[in-house]
Amino acid sequence: MNTAYVSALDVTAGLVLFAAVMTLWRRGVRTIVSILGVQGLSLSAVALVLAIHEHDTALLVTGGLVLVLKGIVIPGLLLRASRLDPKSRETRPLVNVPASLVAAAVLIVLSYVVSARITSLAPSDATRLVPLGMATILVGYFMLVTRRRAVSKIVGLILVDNGIGLVAYLLTSGVPFIVELGSSIDVLLVVVVLQFLMVSMGRHSDVDVLTERRELRD
Amino acid sequence: MTWYLVALSLGALAAIAGATLPRRVRVPVAAALGALGCAVSLVAAVGDLIDGRTILVHSDRLLPFSGVSLTLDPLAALFVVLSSLVGVAACLYLVGYAHGPSASRSAVSIFMVFVLALSVVPLASNIVSFMFAWELMALSSLLLIVTDQAQRPKARSAALWYAAMTQAGAVSITLGLLLCASRAPGQSFVDIAASSSTLSATTRTAAFVLVLLGFASKAGAVPLHVWLPKAHPEAPSPVSALMSSAMVSMGVYGIVRVGGDLLHGGTVGWWVAVAALGIVSAVYGALHATTASDFKRLLAFSTIDIMGLSLIGVGAAGVLEDSGMHADATLAMMAALLLLVAHAAFKGALFLGAGSVERATGTRNLDRLGGLVHTMPTTSVVVALSAGAIMAVPTLSGFSSEWLLLQGLLHGFTDTSTPVVIVMLLGVVALALTGGLTAVAFVKAFGIGFLGQPRSAGARDSREVSRWMGWGSALLVLPSLVLGLVPGLVVSLINRAADTGLGGVATTPVSTGAGLALSQLRGAIEPAALLGALVGVMVVLALAARTLGQRRARRVDAWGCGREEQTPRMQYTATSFAEPLQRVFADVLRPQMDVEVTHAVESRYFQQSLTYHHRIADVVEVRAYRPVFGVVHRVGVLARRLQNGSIHRYLAFGFVALLVVVVVLA
Amino acid sequence: MNRVALSVCTSVLQLALVGVGSLVLLGLMAKVKARAEGRVGSPVVQPLRDIRKLLTKERLHARHSSVVLALAPMVITASAAVAVGISPIIGTHPVLGQSADIFVIVYLLLTGSVASALAGLDPATAFGGMGASRAMTIGALAEPALLVAVIALSVQAGTSNLPGIVSSTASHPAWVFGPVHLFALGALLIVVLAETGRIPVDNPATHLELTMVHEAMVLEYAGPELALVTLGEAMRLGLLFSLVANLFLPWGVATGDSLGALAIACAALVAKTTTLALVVALIEVRSAKLRLFRLPELLAGGFVLSVLAVVMGLVIR
Repeated sequence: MNTAYVSALDVTAGLVLFAAVMTLWRRGVRTIVSILGVQGLSLSAVALVLAIHEHDTALLVTGGLVLVLKGIVIPGLLLRASRLDPKSRETRPLVNVPASLVAAAVLIVLSYVVSARITSLAPSDATRLVPLGMATILVGYFMLVTRRRAVSKIVGLILVDNGIGLVAYLLTSGVPFIVELGSSIDVLLVVVVLQFLMVSMGRHSDVDVLTERRELRD
Repeated sequence: MTWYLVALSLGALAAIAGATLPRRVRVPVAAALGALGCAVSLVAAVGDLIDGRTILVHSDRLLPFSGVSLTLDPLAALFVVLSSLVGVAACLYLVGYAHGPSASRSAVSIFMVFVLALSVVPLASNIVSFMFAWELMALSSLLLIVTDQAQRPKARSAALWYAAMTQAGAVSITLGLLLCASRAPGQSFVDIAASSSTLSATTRTAAFVLVLLGFASKAGAVPLHVWLPKAHPEAPSPVSALMSSAMVSMGVYGIVRVGGDLLHGGTVGWWVAVAALGIVSAVYGALHATTASDFKRLLAFSTIDIMGLSLIGVGAAGVLEDSGMHADATLAMMAALLLLVAHAAFKGALFLGAGSVERATGTRNLDRLGGLVHTMPTTSVVVALSAGAIMAVPTLSGFSSEWLLLQGLLHGFTDTSTPVVIVMLLGVVALALTGGLTAVAFVKAFGIGFLGQPRSAGARDSREVSRWMGWGSALLVLPSLVLGLVPGLVVSLINRAADTGLGGVATTPVSTGAGLALSQLRGAIEPAALLGALVGVMVVLALAARTLGQRRARRVDAWGCGREEQTPRMQYTATSFAEPLQRVFADVLRPQMDVEVTHAVESRYFQQSLTYHHRIADVVEVRAYRPVFGVVHRVGVLARRLQNGSIHRYLAFGFVALLVVVVVLA
Repeated sequence: MNRVALSVCTSVLQLALVGVGSLVLLGLMAKVKARAEGRVGSPVVQPLRDIRKLLTKERLHARHSSVVLALAPMVITASAAVAVGISPIIGTHPVLGQSADIFVIVYLLLTGSVASALAGLDPATAFGGMGASRAMTIGALAEPALLVAVIALSVQAGTSNLPGIVSSTASHPAWVFGPVHLFALGALLIVVLAETGRIPVDNPATHLELTMVHEAMVLEYAGPELALVTLGEAMRLGLLFSLVANLFLPWGVATGDSLGALAIACAALVAKTTTLALVVALIEVRSAKLRLFRLPELLAGGFVLSVLAVVMGLVIR
């Protein structure tokens, strides 16, 4: 039972980070969004595994919520948004793909270094995985900085949020349900607002490449 | 020690012979004396390594302040072995190589001084004798670079770079050593080692940083490496061989001696810094080696790569020792030392081989070579085997040493402290990155330079070089074979040296035998058996081919895709061979390329000529050194305003200075 | 049964199985691709027939070639054969199994690649140089992913001895479904695609010199030497496939000293490698060959996966 719990936790948490790396690897915007969906599902799986192991009903509900919101609703909305330009690809990211991947490797090692102190505070099967969450946050932020397409930027933002979620589950075995609800809804709101923005920007001019836009301050 | 003194006197005699004898007999006599001296010290050092003795000699008369003091402990003996080995080969090679300016009185005698200095540096055991030997080594090599500068326009600028960097390094080392000795009763290394634990932590760290800067620059660690790819290729080939195999190793020796032996290990931060230098150098050197098309420049960058790997080993040993894993630390240190010895042999052979190629073809640009395997068989075999060793082909020396290094790093992963794990992780990644790149570099060097058809008249008309040059370089292939096939035989010697470098506690992480077997039985290799299996399979294949009735192959034209005639110019060159990797790593290498197209007069669609230029500058030099030079230059220009040649102004300066002194003192 | 005899038996069986089986695997993959594309395809044993045909042909050497051209096929085949002989493919006690270090295997494979690149440069043609340059570039980029993935596995198993890794994985079934194994498997699959020259890295069936990588290097070989090169390359593929299969699904590999276990191991190996070959064939059908300068993306992906595997190993220990 315990080994099954440990490997399930390891694999699901590993998948969250793996999905984050995959978003840097692939170019098709729709593919990236699908990977985000996989990440949402893995994140909810982490919560569910923890919930079952700790017999924590609130966490169970949170996991379900994450499953629905981050696994299905948000990726669905983003897929709809990217349907405006179905062939949209991350053709020329600010940092090219191989360099991004090497950077991701460095970020993963870095998060292992910086998390060592946090992990050593309360070593347990869950807390030792904190570096993965930290790495997801860093990789997400990297994505946010270096990708040009609006959808990719949103994906980067959600990666950061998922990473924070992962760290929170692993460290505290679940944030209070209401906090998770609040943050998820925030993210949802951001997605919806950005989707509106993108649609209007898309009407305005055909591109959603953000680097060319310098007049966004007013 | 008597044998050493004999060897050193033979070296000194060689230098005198070089300076005094008439032209006809000068080179053979001096080289014979030098080679004999190196051979004697080689045998003596091996004997002392086997016995594991520590011997001291002290004389008050030879040098001012504290006299000469020489100590032979296992660590010193190993480096004496290393430099005498290359010394013998270089002296033999010199007999065939020296002519014209490189056979002049000064050139031959300075060469012998350089060979001598290289085997004194590891023996010296007080600050004055160490710095004396160190400077002798630096200055003699500097002078040798400019001996035939008439033929090498770049030699002067290379020598300037080398002079500046090596002297700055020497100053830094001297300051560091003096700091180490600040609480010691004398300035001998024994006194320093005994008193260094009473120094404050800050002083020790400052001292280590100072010596590290000097020694790392000598070992060619990035970013202090900029002189190396300039100076090593421009020196005459036997000198390059000595510089790139024995002299760079002295940098690592210094780090081990001062950090491990005199300062007893210090803190983990030091060794993380050493490992970091190693990681950066390994990757940077390997990358530049793959894209260089000058044979000797390629070798010089590969030296930076291997020195980086050995610094990774030293750094790993330091951090492991710090966290109490003594056996694993010894393993990593042994790997670093074995790698240095293996490198000295194969890089020496490669530089001598490159010298033979340059002598035979008049160029060392790989883009103009080719087909040498037909005209220069001995040199080809020497270069092929040494290139195989550097690529870590199993059963050659590079493999056994890199395997030991990998094992050292792998064992370190069992530790839980973060700095250890990070050093191991990044070290392993650097080793993995350089492995494939080194293979590209040396497949290029051998495949383009020696195979195919000659790409220039010089390569076409080349002939095998003189027998002495052949023997000299072939001698250095032997260690590659021995260390590769039966590494177990020498491993106990290296083990002693590593123990000294780590403070003297003896452990044997590797059991002795023909192959290498880690004592905890977590890994083993038996290269001799592996070679037996490989040869066995090849013999079976050859016999099978014979029973199938195979005769000699018929010679036919190569496949030309429908073209009748194929010219040598249609072959890939070294530049085109490395082009894909250059493009992949363009962000790091920053190549500059120009294509000039001249169109035919009749139509723009036809081209009359097409010229392609490309150049890969050293990014570190351009980004880090040039701006500093710019500032210094501007300051210099400003300072010139002070001097206008007017006597009144100079007198006024004197007057102002006097006033200042009076006011300050008042 | 005596230990030595069993070791010899294991090694000989491995050589025979991989020597013939890998050619059949090549035929099988071609067949699957043909069927998936709606063609009938050549029979599964076609590569064996090709070898037999090549053996009866004349030896031809390019005019400007040297002894390297004649030696390279032997080195390629011998390095692959020795690697096959000492690896734990059907049993954990092959000949020299003590020294069957995972780095020995990696560097033996590298020796084979170096030999074929030199053979490409030797005949002084443009195509040979092109193939050698590209193959070495791909090899150099795949090498880090391979070594780091292998290191992830050795750190987990606490040894770099291949039979040791296989037997300790067999005794820790939880590892197989752990993240270290999954990520290292991903990295190794990419490396295997690159090292064996399959789509999306290289197209083994191409007939246009300019798009060739591996084929361009061996363009100058004919007759029995081509047969030897083909056999050597096939054995490399067989070795990589069986190592991946055994490292990630170690069950079935004979650990004891009975002949029965060896027979079961042979059957298990055939099943595992056939499955892997089917997977690779399907990947080949589903994807297009990548441009040469898109390959770094793929291989950097493999590299980051392998780093992920090592870090996972450190995190979860």
